[in-house]
Amino acid sequence: MRSFGYAEAENAQGLAAALGKGYRIKAGGIDLLDMMKERIDKSERIVSITGMTELRGIKERDGGVAIGALTTLNEIARDETLRKAFPALPDTVCNAATPQVREVATIAGNILQRPRCWFFRQAEYNCLRKSGQACYAVAGDNTYHSIYPMGACHITHPSNIAPALVAVGAQIIASDGKNPKSYDIRDFFLTPEQDLKRENKLPQNEFITEIFLPKMPEKSAYVEVKEKQSFDWPLAACVATYADKKWSIILAHVAPVPLRATLAENVVGEKADIDENLALQAAEAAVKTAQPMAYNGFRVHLAKAVVRRALLKACGKDFHA
Amino acid sequence: MSETTAPKNIMQPKEPRPDVRQKVTGTARYTADQYPAKVLYARSVRFPFGKGSIVNADVEKARAIPGVVLVDVKKGKSVNYAGGIVGRIVAESKDALEDAMEALNATYEVEQSRTNPSKLYEGVPEADAQANAELKGLFDGGLKVVEATYTTQVQTHSCLEPHGSVVDVRQDGVEAWVSTQAVMALEDAVSNTTDFPASKVVVHSEFVGGGFGSKFSLGAEGTMACRVSKERARPVRAILNRSEEHCDGGNRPGSIQYMKIAVKDSGEIAGGRVHVVSTVDADGGGGGIRNPNYYKFGNVVRTEGDLALNGGKPQAFRAPGFPQGSFALESMMDELAAAVKMDPVAFRKLNETSRRRIEQFDRGAELIGWKDRKADGGTPGRIKIGYGCAAGSWGNGKGKCSSDCEIHRSGEVEVRVGIQDIGTGASTVVTDTAAWHLGLPRTMVTGKVGNSDYPPGPGSGGSVTTRMTVPAVRDSAEKALGELKKELASVWKTEPDKISYGEGVFVNPTNNQNVAWKDACAMMSGASVVGHGRFNDEYWGEGGSDTVQFVKVEVDSETGVVKVKKVVAIQACGQVCNRLTAENQVCGGIIQGISFALFEQRMLDPMTGGQLNADFINYKVAGPVDVPEIVAVLDVRDTDTGARSIGEPSTIPTAGAIANAVANALGVRVRHLPITPQRVLEAMLEQKGAIA
Ligand SMILES: Cc1cc2nc3c(=O)[nH]c(=O)nc-3n(C[C@H](O)[C@H](O)[C@H](O)COP(=O)(O)OP(=O)(O)OC[C@H]3O[C@@H](n4cnc5c(N)ncnc54)[C@H](O)[C@@H]3O)c2cc1C
Repeated sequence: MRSFGYAEAENAQGLAAALGKGYRIKAGGIDLLDMMKERIDKSERIVSITGMTELRGIKERDGGVAIGALTTLNEIARDETLRKAFPALPDTVCNAATPQVREVATIAGNILQRPRCWFFRQAEYNCLRKSGQACYAVAGDNTYHSIYPMGACHITHPSNIAPALVAVGAQIIASDGKNPKSYDIRDFFLTPEQDLKRENKLPQNEFITEIFLPKMPEKSAYVEVKEKQSFDWPLAACVATYADKKWSIILAHVAPVPLRATLAENVVGEKADIDENLALQAAEAAVKTAQPMAYNGFRVHLAKAVVRRALLKACGKDFHA
Repeated sequence: MSETTAPKNIMQPKEPRPDVRQKVTGTARYTADQYPAKVLYARSVRFPFGKGSIVNADVEKARAIPGVVLVDVKKGKSVNYAGGIVGRIVAESKDALEDAMEALNATYEVEQSRTNPSKLYEGVPEADAQANAELKGLFDGGLKVVEATYTTQVQTHSCLEPHGSVVDVRQDGVEAWVSTQAVMALEDAVSNTTDFPASKVVVHSEFVGGGFGSKFSLGAEGTMACRVSKERARPVRAILNRSEEHCDGGNRPGSIQYMKIAVKDSGEIAGGRVHVVSTVDADGGGGGIRNPNYYKFGNVVRTEGDLALNGGKPQAFRAPGFPQGSFALESMMDELAAAVKMDPVAFRKLNETSRRRIEQFDRGAELIGWKDRKADGGTPGRIKIGYGCAAGSWGNGKGKCSSDCEIHRSGEVEVRVGIQDIGTGASTVVTDTAAWHLGLPRTMVTGKVGNSDYPPGPGSGGSVTTRMTVPAVRDSAEKALGELKKELASVWKTEPDKISYGEGVFVNPTNNQNVAWKDACAMMSGASVVGHGRFNDEYWGEGGSDTVQFVKVEVDSETGVVKVKKVVAIQACGQVCNRLTAENQVCGGIIQGISFALFEQRMLDPMTGGQLNADFINYKVAGPVDVPEIVAVLDVRDTDTGARSIGEPSTIPTAGAIANAVANALGVRVRHLPITPQRVLEAMLEQKGAIA
């Protein structure tokens, strides 16, 4: 590993000061340290925020739920309130990664983790996202890449939890040390078309303090398909939620951002109870705009399957029948 | 869960390995844990793509980094696989070494690689005229004929502890730690490489984190460690990182296996055509797919060949050539059974070559619940249940081994054998064999392995370690006991062979009094007595390594996800030295077989030839949730009086049994490993025209 400067922030002011000096935040460190060891991330100064205990925990507030930025994936997986009110949310993380990773990885770190593209993650491939000239996925092996074209780079967004947050229109509360900022998660993530080098709008001098879920959905479900059941990222996943006579259908791991399946949402409309037939139609609609690459056509079928299943599961139905 | 059919010939029924505490608390020191004072770090510079050379590298910048001792890059040297060596860096610390690697900022010339076997495959060659005439008779004779091509992927060894050596060449000799499966052979290799006589070389490998066939030689890293240590008069560490391990740490070659087999209506296999190709590295060699096997296949015309890829060199890998061959031939067995409308178990029993396995098939069928097996694709709904089975075995030749058994005055027994414990429990076998032979509690015995100064034992390949070690350890224990009796005889003024001994008690023939082991040992004239043992036919006994496995799977026919729910293994291995380690070998073989069947595959980029998954995230190895209930039945009979192989046979049948279970579940056969969701969906589209 390269040597790097290290500091520990005790409070927002200290953290803001560090960020001002170009420090990079380390929360659980799962993704950041991996990136540094692979010499993809060349940060020279790291500030740990794990001591800022005020950023940790799940609280009910203003009719919604606030999840502190440092709350770990397992704290979310085990939370009774969320389990009852919004089961899809703990479901997105209760089987993600490994038990050890889940004890350390934080919600903010999870939504900000960098893409898993195997060209991006290897220093030898100087790809577009690393300021290079080409996306190697175009002519190379793109089994795990995007099936929805959104620009010249073909990453998928790696976060399990982000689609659940997008589904309920969560707000990302950030700070620059002086003023709180709020981002609507529905336009927080950036497609390669919008920005080739960044996956979200958070500027370097700000940090996330909490994720606020304004309202719990009436129904929700999460469904994923993985090649292997122990520590593997999904090939496709879907979160479906129902609130105020509206469905949110969000696809994950198939596009550069958590993908709102608007066409599918239009198919189901206001209907609270969805039957097999309607679920299937919605699933078909969800993949209408998919354009797989040479190696990943099978994942279009999987995207369809997870949409169908998530809708039925949210309605309490057996999708295996 | 586990079960033993006959506990009689089991030396140690339940105790865990004596070194279990060291292993789970991390105090067991492996090669990768050795950091002698003033150690230097060495690593090869490697070409990251399939074929080409380094055009430019900033060697000066790398050399200028503080702590960097040596940078050596061969620009223009052509390389034909990702991971091929083009230079080396030596530094005072791992960080300085990696800084230097980065500073090279190499640019490459990349040529088109050969990465895709199915595109390069040239098909089945014409057989010669006579063979053709015979085949024509078979295929045109009104028999049922099944023709299919099966493929398997390249699997890397993925040892948890990477390959590596830590070598300290001093003025008076060499001390080396090597992660190896052959500690004696490594002494020879280190001696040759450093130019020191073997008497001045000691190699340690007390703990080894897996080898699976890939750790028999010193390797480029060990050679580098020896040379640099000699040049610099400092200890040198050269341990591969995970990416190097995947690219250049050995692999199980892939295969393309064509089979066209004729079967009589009676179920008897008449014979046919088999052509097997293994995917090897650009230099060729190292293939060797074992197909057909186990069953009476009649008159088979067989050809074989190699297909060169721009990938790392294959190495022997746990039952080399067998899991690939077994997958294809066991798949074919089920396809043939279907062609003559027979039950797969009945069909196998009819064509079996081993009486033991015929019995094992009955036992396994009962334990898996074979009677619940439905017609192919017969489960209602989207989640399909399937059952499959397959067979395996292993050849058990005699060999060489020697052992020293030292009985101390305190009564404590120490047994030293120049073998190595690559994770299998070899040191446990030494301890338990000596304790059992001497009739002592195992707490009084310490088995020691992994040191080249011990009496020479075999390298751990071909599942020989236990079967060669046990007769030598028993011989040494018997001889040490003889030495002890001589001591007692001189005290008691009698003849040694008049002294009887059993279960920790000697009988003094002069007064017929019992003397306990410890009291007897206290009478010896010196500090200890030693028995030098060799592989002794007297302790070879009877036994074999036949096995069958049964598998139950659950397949999601909408997503193609396969989950193995249960595996039953009926495994013969002769006499059992320690039941837990023996069952552990069976479970390990099965888990590695599941991983081979469903997950693992080296992925070479078609554009660059680089390995895209040279890590443990995209190179997918079965994890805890992927491991099913395993019922490991040690099939031990009264006649099983000698220790036999277990490590390799236990991994042979798994993939074939899984493939058959998947075909039974879906009514669609996946003929290509690994059976990923993608492959299942593709097979359904191809064979049924639709998914689910
Ligand atoms: C084997 C394995 C399997 C995995 N499988 C999955 C999976 O299936 N699904 C999944 O979603 N993830 C998976 N992960 C990824 C893992 O969940 C993420 O790496 C982890 O959640 C990152 O959280 P962290 O707290 O460790 O973040 P860090 O590594 O500390 O930080 C990640 C990024 O977020 C920034 N950051 C962190 N906190 C803040 C903050 N409060 N404000 C501003 N910036 C911040 C950091 O600067 C950094 O850029 C897996 C990881 C491993 C190792």
